[in-house]
Amino acid sequence: MEKLGVLFGMALVTYFTRYTMIAALGRGMPVLARRWLRYVPPAVLAALVVPAALAPEGHLEVGLPAWAVLAGAVFAWRTHSVLWTILGGMAAFWLLRLLGA
Amino acid sequence: MKDFWRGLVATLPLAPGVVAFGLLYGMMARQVGFSPWEAWAMSLVVHAGSAQFTAVGMWETAGAIPIVLTTLVVNLRHMLLGASVAPYLRGLSPPWKALLALWMSDESYALAIAEYERGRGTHRYFLGANVGIYLAWPTGGLIGSLLSSAIPDPSQYGLDLVFPLGFLGLMTAFLKDRIGVAVALAAGGLALLGTVYLPGKWTIIVAGLLGSGLGVLLEEVEQAWRNSGSFSAWRW
Repeated sequence: MEKLGVLFGMALVTYFTRYTMIAALGRGMPVLARRWLRYVPPAVLAALVVPAALAPEGHLEVGLPAWAVLAGAVFAWRTHSVLWTILGGMAAFWLLRLLGA
Repeated sequence: MKDFWRGLVATLPLAPGVVAFGLLYGMMARQVGFSPWEAWAMSLVVHAGSAQFTAVGMWETAGAIPIVLTTLVVNLRHMLLGASVAPYLRGLSPPWKALLALWMSDESYALAIAEYERGRGTHRYFLGANVGIYLAWPTGGLIGSLLSSAIPDPSQYGLDLVFPLGFLGLMTAFLKDRIGVAVALAAGGLALLGTVYLPGKWTIIVAGLLGSGLGVLLEEVEQAWRNSGSFSAWRW
């Protein structure tokens, strides 16, 4: 059945992307590479956050998501907590929505 | 075992977002001819949200090979994520590495890498986070495909904001110095430009590579400054 073949192919390439680097970078990494990799998490996380806030539909837009994420940023800065950041940002989203912003 | 549960519990704030998008995925899969069982199976074996949305979106018009290749491209960012977590997994046995790679998602990676950065990360925590997201995603997909009709768009309720907000909360672990802040600002700006002006799915990987490269560059600049003696005048 073709569907299952496609699912299998998708699973295979996905696992490939997840496993190769974890397996390959086991031992003995150049110092420069390790320093570079240390900055990957803030870079990737910011790359996931900023477009979701300012271009949720693919074009620049300062709307509800932007203000909610800005509020979330204040919570993140003050609490360093995932839960509080989500609650704070969502509260801002709903508050602004109810106010008709 | 305690660390495993800590990792699992840490996924709870993100779970409503994961389930909501799982529901949406399940409904969309149903609309392009998947049975609930097939929609569930895709979530169970692929376990990659954005790739699955993309695959379902092109299902009726594209062939098997383009779908699989697109999945590869959409998921290439995982190579970057894997590379960045790899130094923490060095001492693990190959089966552990293979197991942790299996269900690594953006969300569980972010939870684990922030925990490693704070000095509390362990492979069991990572596994717990992986399992937490892995439980939520196919569950949403199955329920969504069974209900199949009238699933509201999660963004209407702000549920799409769960992810950026969660990532924001985790990002603070990496913003301890000004280089970390500069990296985040640069990568965020690049990703925004990429999202607005570039087609395709390369934004995160390009912004991630360039932004982190900037971090190394700034370290070098700072070092050179310090060595030249004029650095102290520039300290904030």
